[in-house]
Amino acid sequence: MSDDLVKILDGNTFVVSDGRGDIEASLTDPTGLFSSDTRFLSKWVLTVDGQRLNSLSVDNLQYFETRFFLVPGTGTVYVDAKLSVIRQRAVGDGFREELTILNHDNTPVDLKVRVEAASDFADLFEVKDALEKKGKYTSRIEDGKLLLAYERETFKRSTVISATSPARIDENGLTFDVRLEPHGEWTTQIDVAATVPAVGKRSGGSARKRRRKNMEGNLERWLADAPRLECDWEPLRTTYRRSLVDLAALRFSPSITPGKSLPAAGLPWFMTMFGRDSIFTSLQALPFTPELAATTLRTLGLWQGTRIDDFRDEDPGRILHEMRYGEMTAFEERPHSPYYGCADATALYVVLLDEYERWTGDKKLVRELEYEARAALNWIDEYADLTGNGYVSYRRRNEKTGLENQCWKDSWDSISYRDGRLPAFPRATCELQGYAYDAKLRGARLAREIWKDPKLADELEKQAADLKRRFNRDFWVESDAYFALALDADGNQVDALSSNNGHLLWSGIVEKSKAKAVVRHLMGPRLFSGWGIRTLAEGEGRFNPIGYHVGTVWPFDNSFIAWGLRRYGFKQEAAQIAAGILNAAAFFDGRLPEAFGGYEQAETKYPVQYPTACSPQAWSTGAPLLLLRTILGLEPIGNHLVVDPALPSGIGALALLDIPGRWGRVDAFARGEIDLNRRRELQPQLGAPGQVAARRR
Amino acid sequence: MADSTAEFFRELGRRGHEPLLEKAVGIVRFDLVEGKRTDRWLVTLDKGDVSVSRKNVAADCVVRGERALFDAMARGDVSGMAAYLRGELTLEGDPELLVLVQRVLPGPATRRARRTRTRGGSGQR
Repeated sequence: MSDDLVKILDGNTFVVSDGRGDIEASLTDPTGLFSSDTRFLSKWVLTVDGQRLNSLSVDNLQYFETRFFLVPGTGTVYVDAKLSVIRQRAVGDGFREELTILNHDNTPVDLKVRVEAASDFADLFEVKDALEKKGKYTSRIEDGKLLLAYERETFKRSTVISATSPARIDENGLTFDVRLEPHGEWTTQIDVAATVPAVGKRSGGSARKRRRKNMEGNLERWLADAPRLECDWEPLRTTYRRSLVDLAALRFSPSITPGKSLPAAGLPWFMTMFGRDSIFTSLQALPFTPELAATTLRTLGLWQGTRIDDFRDEDPGRILHEMRYGEMTAFEERPHSPYYGCADATALYVVLLDEYERWTGDKKLVRELEYEARAALNWIDEYADLTGNGYVSYRRRNEKTGLENQCWKDSWDSISYRDGRLPAFPRATCELQGYAYDAKLRGARLAREIWKDPKLADELEKQAADLKRRFNRDFWVESDAYFALALDADGNQVDALSSNNGHLLWSGIVEKSKAKAVVRHLMGPRLFSGWGIRTLAEGEGRFNPIGYHVGTVWPFDNSFIAWGLRRYGFKQEAAQIAAGILNAAAFFDGRLPEAFGGYEQAETKYPVQYPTACSPQAWSTGAPLLLLRTILGLEPIGNHLVVDPALPSGIGALALLDIPGRWGRVDAFARGEIDLNRRRELQPQLGAPGQVAARRR
Repeated sequence: MADSTAEFFRELGRRGHEPLLEKAVGIVRFDLVEGKRTDRWLVTLDKGDVSVSRKNVAADCVVRGERALFDAMARGDVSGMAAYLRGELTLEGDPELLVLVQRVLPGPATRRARRTRTRGGSGQR
């Protein structure tokens, strides 16, 4: 997706247009007005007297609102424009566009203003995979409104377009006959409503206006409620604010459970509920906006699997992978109603529940979700061990449309041996064992302290200790001293060196005696690029610096690795990762993409964005938040928040004020080292701790 | 053909307590449409305590669809969520109740008996 496109969003409704505000979508490109995974407008083109407009500037007012300043004329030279056109658009159950035309001339002018509209009602899956439609289209005029509709059996979707000024409406759009006096002004409001009859009723005009007011107030409250950041390294302040605003934008209220919101995964492909992404993002944001975690836990619990269903890869106790509302899901051409094919979210669900209680002290929710948490723990033992060797593994049962790789590295070639061969299924990737270990220990704490079930607690702790012992034996690549990426179907090591080693530190499954060797690999030249840790080490058979999961650097991945490094006492290394990722964020104006190229930092000087990465993307948005937690060394212990900072060099002073939690609100302060000689640089970059001292020597 | 919907509701009523429905409080009415006739089933949920009746009273959530569709869902042949997304199943009132109630629908029949538990039930208290 090209970056000059303008995107505004609210929950799972979003508009992607060109810099003029126009939409001319082909089947395969993700421009248009989308809602509930369906495209409601694929064409939206404004002309004045038959002429297209030129963009002078675009103001992104809010994440849900933008303003385009335009002038007529399609050439590269538009000297002395006599007209200005302002298009202001806000999203929310469709969108509303205020169109204003100004006459700068001393003579009156008559104009024909035209908006062409059409919709292909494509399912987002069809846009992604370029598939054909099966239903019927109609376009008609009803009560002075243009109605575009699509129908396939009982499945109905429609777009209703209306304007506040008199318009001539035909099946392809609206025409306004406008007379402008000298220095006069004309304005109209065009309302585009995306209606899904089955999934809730659309609110009327005044209700939408109220909603919009709420959205503005809501964003202000959201920002005011989050901890305040003070820092002498300016890019971090920018990144922090960007993260909070993007997280607000990505909040998603599933249309069947309105009024509650959790983080959706990312624009444009993944504006929906994802088990794994929602959990990781909630973990990253816990010290800042703990309410996201509460909603994530409640909502994913509500949808927890209850039966065995091969089409959806569903089992009792399994946490969902992805939920969709579009046509292909409705007709079961895709299994996302919801789809359960992921092998990590279920253990991570228990991890989040425990971490949430440690921060907030909300025992009530832990009691409320006892059934779900127990069912999740039970899934690990009863359904996830596919080969009977005591490890969590995965193999899809839906062989047509299910996911092959059910771990976070879910592309087809992500799991490989050193020589590049791909293993057979089931595959037991290493981080899944770490998550299971962590879930058992955290589940044990909840069982002992909150559910008052010491027997279960003892049993879980015993299982965890056994898992750790076996794991450190079976996954350890003795010759090179790191953990294998996975075990294959026969229990042999899939021996490529990968970033997954870092997740193992986060989960605590690594024996203390092995940690140093693991960290040496993570920070070594094959994995560490200078910006961050690559998904796959340089030199492995499938390594490619711009391969989705086989060489790129993922900010989310790195944020959890940094947390893992801290867990094992590697403060300096954690700060070095934070430095790399936060430096990269500064290149993207504070908005980290999903992934960037795994090129050596010295080679490119700037981070190269992965070509089709989602942006904003929830767990990239959350990465700077978790990195802040990590460099401040924030850790809830009992009713207190422990602060134990280790900052990258380049930050002299860092304060995070009003951190919410079971302690009420507390402040964290940290001081670091800055190099006064480097102050004059245009864009000073952060470095590993100790660098300043080294340079001075 | 056996009335699988009736069988499903009667069995649900006999459970007395259903842990999967512990988050639900409210009355869900199912309207089964067959030609001009509408059959009603009323499910009263109170934190896991379930009672089923045929009374016609005000409900917090009304789920409406063809009788054949309900039969297919009760057999596990049709997913309630997919039917809802298709517009075959319509909903008035609190949608969260429907999400909760669909948890007790069976999975596809072919696979239901495939696995047997090696250890106690999931989440037993």
